Amino acid sequence: MTIIIWTIQLALVPILSPLFLGVLRKIKARFQNRVGANIFQPYRNLWKLFHKDEVMSEDASWIFRIAPYLIFTITIILGASIPLFSTWLSNNLLSDFLAVVYLVALSTFFLALAGIDVGSAFGGFGSSREMTLAALTEGGFIFSFLALSFLAHSTNLFFIASAVSVLPLFSFTPIVLVFISFVIIMLCETAHFPFDNPATHLELTMVHEAMILEYSGKRLALIEWAAANKFLIFLALGANMFFPWGLTAQTDAWSVVSALGIFVVKVLILTTFVAILESSIAKFRFFRLYDLLFTAFILSAMAILLIL
Amino acid sequence: MLNLISAQFSFFLALLLLAIGAVGSLTFAKKDWLANLWGNGLAILASVSGLVAAVKVLIFNEAFTYTINSTFSNLSLSLAVDKLSAFFVLIISLVAFLSSIYGIGYVKHFYNKYNLGVLGFFYNIFLVGMLFVVSAHNGFFFLIVWEIMSLASYFLVIFENKENNNIKAGSLYLVMTHVGTAFIMLAFLLLYRATGSLDFSVIKANIGNASLLIKNLVFIFALIGFGTKAGIIPFHIWLPSAHPAAPTHVSALMSGVMIKTGIYMFIRLFVEILSGTELWWGATILIIGIISSLLGVLYALTEHDIKRLLAYHSIENIGIILLGLGSAMIFLSLNLKTLAALSLVAALFHTLNHATFKALLFMGAGSVISQTHTRNIEEYGGLIKFMPQTALYFLIGSLAISALPPFNGFFSEWLTFQTIFSGIQIPDILTKSMFILAAGSLAFTGGLAAACFVKAFGVTFLARPRSVAVLQARESGFFMRFSMAALALATLILGIFAGSVSKIILGAVNNLTGFQRVSGIFFTQKQTFELSNGFAAISTPMIFVILSVVLLLIYGIVKILTSKRKVKIGRTWDCGTKLEPQMEITATSFARSIVIIFKGALKPSKQLEIEYRDADMRYFPKSRNVELGIVDVYRFYFYQPLRDLMIRLSGYAKNVQIGILNVYIAYIFLILLILLFVQS
Amino acid sequence: MMFTLSQIIFLLETLIFLAAVFMHLVHKNSSLISLYRVQSFIVCIFIFGSAIVTSSALLMFVGILIFGVKVIVAPYFFTKLIKAYHVKSTSSTYLNGPTTLLVVAVLTGLAHSHYFQPLTTLVGENPDGLLLSLAAILISIFLLINRKGILSQMVGILSLENAIVSFAFLSELEATPNMQIGIIFDLLVWIIIVYIFAGMIHEKFGTLDSTVMNNLKEE
Repeated sequence: MTIIIWTIQLALVPILSPLFLGVLRKIKARFQNRVGANIFQPYRNLWKLFHKDEVMSEDASWIFRIAPYLIFTITIILGASIPLFSTWLSNNLLSDFLAVVYLVALSTFFLALAGIDVGSAFGGFGSSREMTLAALTEGGFIFSFLALSFLAHSTNLFFIASAVSVLPLFSFTPIVLVFISFVIIMLCETAHFPFDNPATHLELTMVHEAMILEYSGKRLALIEWAAANKFLIFLALGANMFFPWGLTAQTDAWSVVSALGIFVVKVLILTTFVAILESSIAKFRFFRLYDLLFTAFILSAMAILLIL
Repeated sequence: MLNLISAQFSFFLALLLLAIGAVGSLTFAKKDWLANLWGNGLAILASVSGLVAAVKVLIFNEAFTYTINSTFSNLSLSLAVDKLSAFFVLIISLVAFLSSIYGIGYVKHFYNKYNLGVLGFFYNIFLVGMLFVVSAHNGFFFLIVWEIMSLASYFLVIFENKENNNIKAGSLYLVMTHVGTAFIMLAFLLLYRATGSLDFSVIKANIGNASLLIKNLVFIFALIGFGTKAGIIPFHIWLPSAHPAAPTHVSALMSGVMIKTGIYMFIRLFVEILSGTELWWGATILIIGIISSLLGVLYALTEHDIKRLLAYHSIENIGIILLGLGSAMIFLSLNLKTLAALSLVAALFHTLNHATFKALLFMGAGSVISQTHTRNIEEYGGLIKFMPQTALYFLIGSLAISALPPFNGFFSEWLTFQTIFSGIQIPDILTKSMFILAAGSLAFTGGLAAACFVKAFGVTFLARPRSVAVLQARESGFFMRFSMAALALATLILGIFAGSVSKIILGAVNNLTGFQRVSGIFFTQKQTFELSNGFAAISTPMIFVILSVVLLLIYGIVKILTSKRKVKIGRTWDCGTKLEPQMEITATSFARSIVIIFKGALKPSKQLEIEYRDADMRYFPKSRNVELGIVDVYRFYFYQPLRDLMIRLSGYAKNVQIGILNVYIAYIFLILLILLFVQS
Repeated sequence: MMFTLSQIIFLLETLIFLAAVFMHLVHKNSSLISLYRVQSFIVCIFIFGSAIVTSSALLMFVGILIFGVKVIVAPYFFTKLIKAYHVKSTSSTYLNGPTTLLVVAVLTGLAHSHYFQPLTTLVGENPDGLLLSLAAILISIFLLINRKGILSQMVGILSLENAIVSFAFLSELEATPNMQIGIIFDLLVWIIIVYIFAGMIHEKFGTLDSTVMNNLKEE
């Protein structure tokens, strides 16, 4: 039974992530008065990309070749270390939130390097924008988790989840502040509005897309899948850190299935929320974004002051 | 075999070998290759001996002291190598060992141009000075060896004396280091006045009787004095000019080790001798750490001289070390000894880590510079195809300094974070806000450092060459590659075995007075590091193992599943035009967004000149000239007014020497009268 | 009237003191030399007197030596200087007449002030004489400071030396003849050197006035 649960934990994020991406796109399409693609279309996209040949730039080095594998690996590892549906699997080894933050930073680092590697104009400025945003996001990212860990007296994500589920009501205000800050950070890290438009290739507006412009074939599939994984990871973090009810501690089949179901429902709600947000606001000008990120940082700092 | 050699013997053997190396270099100065081999080779042997000594003291508990007394009790040569000194001896020896190996290959490009005997002489004397500085136990002896270390490094900085910039950098360094030494002397004089002796143990025993004013004054003077050497803001202005001016293996030593001697004396003086009793001391150091780390990394982002960039990163990392040290002092003043020990472990671990990866980065930069003959990043590009191994090692150095797992930088920043988190939980609102600020600054510093190194590594090694100088670059020589590889491996090993290393460092901290019975702050089991209060735990080897295993798995699975797909090599998408080097991102533009965001602190300047085809119509520009710059805030607002004041005061003082003979005789007469009066 | 020995000594000391004061007032260089001659003569008398009292042949010999060097040789050298470089008058001073005398008076008062009273315990008989010789020392130094001409400064040093010898004599310190021989020898050498030096200065600057010596180095 343990093995089955472990397998589910490992495979859940990569398997489900394209689905939620598809749901997001469908809802946005509906808002734009279109029918939109099928919610399973991302799966078909991935299948198509894996079956195509690749064209690689002659200026690219081994960093360009290796980066997609590394980024995908990191998303798999992260997916396995965060609480998804069960608190039973707390492992001390990788669930420290600082480890999560810095693993995300590692994947961003290599993605930025891959963007510079091809020597095109797009990749260069995409990396520049991405590293600027990543540098500023780290503060808010660490602080939002820090606030929660002061509540839970532990930096382990699983312990935080179980602690938040039993919190009394008067710690409501700081948690709301932290949630707002976390949503801002999530939007930035997963390249959604108002930070980045995931559906554009205009040089004025791309950040994430600019860096992966040269990729094709299986490597592009890996990177797109990794981006979807990252989105699901952040959604799962948001769902399970702030609304941890539904995580099960038992290992029998019924509780696992119901926990999985609750997880899917929570993430769907959050996806809808993100879709509505994306459809109602426009992408900000680049030099307005740092204000937003500093706001996230300060909100979390205020929450910490309130908690302690 | 190790049991036969005592720590004391190895330490003195190291000093002896260095002395032989110094003198020998000078005598063999005529033959370049012999001077090179002798100077660096003996330094290698000496560092091995130093490493043995350090290991023996740290692991086998063989701390020793050595005194030669003279009739004047203050003029004695007094050494005491306890575990803290041994830790610093370890850092010095490790970096010296690898720098000397690097040097054997690197100084080849000084053959027939400069006197290598002089280089070897001052290099070995520099190492002797540093070894003595971390083991001196008497104030007077300390000042002597401190001066030796500063003078030797000055001569090393101006070694390439055909470049004018190096001489200017050397003069600035000399002035600043002597200003620092003056303050250190003042601090020691005050201590002598308060306790009647310059011996560290005597001072430690008697300092409790000194008044608070004297302790505060000693703190301020020592902060300025040692801070100038360590490179804290605003006393850092010598660092960005002096470190690039020196030969690369010396820069590695200066940046990785020499500035840490300032940190060593901070710990020795503030934590041990003065016992860190005041809260505002720790708070000051914490705030200096915050400012230095943030401003250091911001200035590094604006640089496109690769060595200056690395020098500013040294300032940033000293800031991070000071964050740990400041928290330690705050905890000490609040009598939270376990937390203070944890902070000291974090600060010391980061000292070790920074020494390794900064030396690695400087060596990589030096290899690149010696191949392309320019320090300007904007002229590099695509070097990964010409110098693949150097690129790999530089990448590992960049990953380590950006605190990315699984390398050693990640662990020491994690540990610093943990100490700051514990600090945030202190009930006093003022300390709490300071610690929150510290945590914020550390978080931002980490992100900004990663951005800076994406720029440094990416623009240097990736994409296409931006100038013809790159096209003739070749891979570095064997010695240079060996030392870089060894350091890269060291960063990985220190990261993986962080648990054991922190236990050793805790042993060193326990050796300090006042910390003897402090333990149990954390425990490690099979390299899993866990804080005792259960707040946090991490396992660095696990991260490394899981990363590698899963990476290989994914690579294997994808390869098998897509084995029939082909990869075609083509040109980068160029929108239909010809691919020029100007299309690639430049270092300046990479960092420009961040510079604009932080323009309040950096004060960037921009000058635009446009020449129009028709001056009256002003519609079609013929050429545009844009000049981007950063105002050197410290020079302009702090040092320039100070310098003008000094010159004005000197002008007034000049009037004493009028030039008229009779006035001079009148001076003598006056002094005679005064002396007669005073005597009676 | 019987004059006691101490009174005679005090009178002679006063003469030395007055000579030092007059050196400030005279204008002609030859007068300076004459005053110096008088001073040296009085010092000779002192030495002869103590030689007679102690019946020491060596001291007698020293007295003759002093007479020879100070009264005959030194003034001769200086008159040669005056003739060679035509420095007849030396009226240039920094402070004018009355102010000079004021300073002289202040210095004398200083010498008699309570700061130097402990010195008088050295000698029982002639405390005032001692203080007077001290005043002569200070005034001679002031001559150095006040005068612009180099010749006056040299005479000032010589008069200083005379005042110091009289001080030593009056305080009965170290009255060994060997010391006197040493001093005389020193003085002789000094005079020779100064003579040559004055020649060199005249050669370089064309004058023996110290105000031109502001820039001693090529700029």
